[in-house]
Amino acid sequence: MIELRNVCKKFAGRIAVDDLSFTVPRGEIFGLLGHNGAGKSTAIGMMLGQVWPTSGALKICGHDIQTNRRDALRPVGAIFETPVFYDYLSGARNLEILSTYTAPTSKARIREVIEWVGLTGRESSKVRTYSHGMRSRLALAQALLPKPELLILDEPSDGLDPEGIHEMRQTILRLQRELGLTILLSSHLLNEVEQLCTRIAVLQNGKKVFEGNVADVKSARGKVALKTSDFAKATQLLRERGLITATELEKYITLAEGRSTADIAQALVAAGIAVDGIWQHEQTVKDFYLGLINRNGKK
Amino acid sequence: MFLAQLKNELWKLFGKKRTYIGFGAFVVAQTAMLLMFKYTRWQGQFERLLAGNGYLASEYISALTVAVIMLVPQILLLMPLYVTLTGGDLVAKEAEDGTLRMILSRPISRVRLLLVKWAAGTIFSAVLVLALGAIALGFARILFPWKGMFVFGELPHPIFGLFPPGEGLRLYIFAHLFMTVNAIAMLSVAGMFSCFNMKPAAATILALSFLFLSMVMEHIPFFEAYQNWFITYHFAAWVLVFQTPVPWPQIFQSEIILLATSATAFVIGAMAFQMRDIKS
Repeated sequence: MIELRNVCKKFAGRIAVDDLSFTVPRGEIFGLLGHNGAGKSTAIGMMLGQVWPTSGALKICGHDIQTNRRDALRPVGAIFETPVFYDYLSGARNLEILSTYTAPTSKARIREVIEWVGLTGRESSKVRTYSHGMRSRLALAQALLPKPELLILDEPSDGLDPEGIHEMRQTILRLQRELGLTILLSSHLLNEVEQLCTRIAVLQNGKKVFEGNVADVKSARGKVALKTSDFAKATQLLRERGLITATELEKYITLAEGRSTADIAQALVAAGIAVDGIWQHEQTVKDFYLGLINRNGKK
Repeated sequence: MFLAQLKNELWKLFGKKRTYIGFGAFVVAQTAMLLMFKYTRWQGQFERLLAGNGYLASEYISALTVAVIMLVPQILLLMPLYVTLTGGDLVAKEAEDGTLRMILSRPISRVRLLLVKWAAGTIFSAVLVLALGAIALGFARILFPWKGMFVFGELPHPIFGLFPPGEGLRLYIFAHLFMTVNAIAMLSVAGMFSCFNMKPAAATILALSFLFLSMVMEHIPFFEAYQNWFITYHFAAWVLVFQTPVPWPQIFQSEIILLATSATAFVIGAMAFQMRDIKS
């Protein structure tokens, strides 16, 4: 659904996005992570034809966004951080206005979308009377109007209270489950990304520094938590026997290729070192992200 | 689809309170001028001028005459201000508010979007000018009778015209049609600046500066031979409908130049809008 090949964007000599390539297949929830100014919004702007790439190719839904914007964006809905509307008009009027930029949309479809996002009864009120949460729901409604196949969400939970964040998260999952949408999500909320996304890419200073499955990130292959009476002695023994390759924080060990936790437990018990616990460590996306950013040097 | 988009653009335009500032200012200014004309020596001076030229003042101090008197300063001062205010908002206000990003995530081309906005701005300009004319005439009619029309002054073309009521009304309508073209040209210049990466106020100020500079240069004796090159020179074409005989070729030449200026401003604006990056 989304295909970026060697995309670069320079603003007045400053590189905002540098040789970015990735693809998002149909049905996936793909997370785009990175610090402020990493290039996420610029990348999204290029995907939506709002920012012109300096070089590279972008295809949305199989169409080149630069040469065939109309077909590329027809099945796309987008939400941006801090949803903005024509405050002096009603929610329904806003939806009617925005729908005409895509295709003729029936009043029934507008009602359907309003109902889907839970704004029924408030659609005639002026948007200036809406809470931030209601504006977010209206933003979602406008994105759903053209019956999209691809949804691009740029910081959709920005500014929401915990309840609103939870609601938005459930809505995104519902969208994927019930409507089978492909979703590209840019977010600072790493636990949100962890709960929602199947795959992520991390941008740092405009460059992609990681792309992979969330499941792989979380499993952190080979990293094991070890609880023992003498961690230093235990790890020295394990190193000597070639069972581990690294230790971390006097708590974690990294298994050598082909070794299992059973090998570790067996070796320690045989050497008379008591093992209080040994388990596969599950890394959070947050741990992984911070480790990655620190390894690559902060901005 | 274009009509639906235009209808919604008009909803956006006329849904804003600031759109009505111009209409409100016209009502206030016209009321003030009308009362001043009626209750100061202004009316007496006009009566003496008519009498001095051998005309019966009672036949020409009328709603039509007073409407034109009220119109001139508003056309010169207020109309450019309110039209460029709307023109400066066309694209820049949406970019500033953030709604432009939401619109441009949809499959509408930027040129099409600008065309819709420009068409809405053109309708606004026409409504503003026609409202100005109708309000002026309506207000004047409350205090003055429906009689012959007297137009006099350096506006900047020298005019001294006396017309029967029917003929006067016809010329008054023609004058407003030509003033609409002026307003469209002003709006187009402001709209052009609005397409560049700048704040709406900056676009309005640039457009007003452009018009002011054109007016100043037009009046510098050195440029007298080049007056045709200044847009403000052609803005005065509406006054020529009150000359006898009416110089239609000169009027139409000015109108064509103004329309061509509007089209040029639109094309430059469209190119700038097409090329720029839209960011939050």
